[in-house]
Amino acid sequence: MSAVLTHQPPAPTVEVTDAVKRYRDGRREIVAVDRLTLAVDAGSLLAVTGPSGSGKTTLLGILGGLITPTSGDARICGRSVVRLRDHHRARWRRAHVGFVLQDLALIDGMTVLENALLPLAPSGGASSADVAQARTRLAHFGLADRVEVKARTLSGGERQRAAIVRALAHDPDVLLLDEPTAHLDQDNVSRVVGMLAELRDAGRTIVVATHDPRLYDAPAVDRAVRLVDGRLG
Amino acid sequence: MSDPVRRRRPSAPRRQVALLDYALGALARRRGRNLAIVVGLAFTTGLFASVLFLTSALTREYTRSIDAAPDVTVQRVVAGRPALIPESEGADLASLRGVRAVHGRVWGYLFLPSIGANVTVIGARGLDAPAGAIDLSVDGVPTASLLPGGRRPRATNEALLGARLAANLGVWTGDRVALPTPSHGFETLVVTGVFTSESAVHTADVALVSEHTARVLLGVPDGLATDLAISLRNPNERSVVARRAALLPGARVLERDGLRRAYALTFGARAGVLAAALLPTLAALLLLAWDRLTGLSAAERREIGILKTIGWETRDVLTARMWESGLVAAAGAALGLIGAYAHVFWFDAAGLSGVIFGWSALYPTLALVPSVGLGQVGAVAGLVIVPFVAISVVPAWRAATLDPDQALRAAA
Repeated sequence: MSAVLTHQPPAPTVEVTDAVKRYRDGRREIVAVDRLTLAVDAGSLLAVTGPSGSGKTTLLGILGGLITPTSGDARICGRSVVRLRDHHRARWRRAHVGFVLQDLALIDGMTVLENALLPLAPSGGASSADVAQARTRLAHFGLADRVEVKARTLSGGERQRAAIVRALAHDPDVLLLDEPTAHLDQDNVSRVVGMLAELRDAGRTIVVATHDPRLYDAPAVDRAVRLVDGRLG
Repeated sequence: MSDPVRRRRPSAPRRQVALLDYALGALARRRGRNLAIVVGLAFTTGLFASVLFLTSALTREYTRSIDAAPDVTVQRVVAGRPALIPESEGADLASLRGVRAVHGRVWGYLFLPSIGANVTVIGARGLDAPAGAIDLSVDGVPTASLLPGGRRPRATNEALLGARLAANLGVWTGDRVALPTPSHGFETLVVTGVFTSESAVHTADVALVSEHTARVLLGVPDGLATDLAISLRNPNERSVVARRAALLPGARVLERDGLRRAYALTFGARAGVLAAALLPTLAALLLLAWDRLTGLSAAERREIGILKTIGWETRDVLTARMWESGLVAAAGAALGLIGAYAHVFWFDAAGLSGVIFGWSALYPTLALVPSVGLGQVGAVAGLVIVPFVAISVVPAWRAATLDPDQALRAAA
């Protein structure tokens, strides 16, 4: 196990209990997540699969405290985040959760290193140790020669890896990824799966939302659940 | 429970510096839009600041001049025209209580075709005073200082010239200058020195000569004067003396405080009207900025979504946006103030001086002495920065409170 990835979580886990999330689309009500209960074991890699519109991204948002469920509960590392005020939830999320979202990946006008250190700005910016660690992680994931280039110049696979490194900036207990292998070729899928396995082996809890069988069928995945119309299938 | 963020809770200054750093990067990423706003703000600030600086410099000029003016000045008007006044008429006024002295002043304007402007010739009594700074206040000229190499006139047909006038005439100490006489001839004067003064007006057009030379140049016979200057021992007697002086035949009495009020009203009103006329420009710019700032581009929504997703709080996003707006406003205001300073004090307030001066035709060039107070700079900067940052608050708040869920769905 690589030293740069080592993580010692106390008891990291995320769970939702009887969670419901409804949206209004004009007069129509959409139930994205419907009375869903799910717990993710500490130090495991869970794949949430299902067709488009099945509620995977919404579930990921609820698991990470990014989306507040209409009803039910969501707990991150033992603490319910549903009733936390916005800034407390943001702080808790920043402390414990790293997000990698498919389309909200990197800020194109910033360099890869700047993107990787961006989560640290509200905490007073990156120290020299933070910069050194980010550089080491980027190099570890094959981005050593891309550190100072603008994110817009990266390939799809490089963007995903850089986004994962950014999600590790605060050394989170839980990593949530939305479609991390979409639009990637087989080589890059293998690299991303390898990364996730390394991070899981280092002690992190990982949840990926994906409809890519190259990912959810990979041996590194400990468990896969299927979501259909907001419910576990 | 482990809480890495709590472990690395930052000091407020460190957090601000980090968010400022991010805001600087954001400024660079949106440089086109921000540059356009900076230019607009600089232009508007520059317009306001030019009016303010020019008015301030003129106020300083007339304050200096009026401070040096006699307490009371008595002129004679005949058929609506200024006329010479007998010096003997001052004798009665000199006996009034509170009056220190009354003396006739000999001064007037000579038009010099070579520079296309008037020279103010002043027959100065202070020229035979001891060496040092020349206190000519009794003649209506602020304290002047001789430049090195010069001396006071000792004889007739010698003159001291204001530095700017000497430069316009292309002469210096030791040179000669010919001034026209009423008999269509010329009097040749030796320039014995060049003086500077705190008042730009006086260095721009004043020639100090002996009283005798002034009478020759201006055609003022002995016993007559251009006006009577009354200096008071007790300023409280000013109105009494003025009322008494007004009884002289054809008298027009000017009190120093009255002059001060007249100048203040004139320049204050002109500057005020001009500033009021510029207000719509500021309003238009702020409206434009509001329009530009309220519409979040797709890239900005995406960026805010990313920030919220990676753990930025609403206040972090809001602070960064406020830094961004504040930097844009500060840059625009600073550029505008610098531009206004250069416009007024280096380029003679081109395009603006005619509106405010009114008498600019008298001076081919008038380099105003810079007079800018911190209060003025603060007022102009506040006039631009405060409204701009204020109108940035709402869009910044809207941006900062963007629900990450919305951002997620917008980007999905």
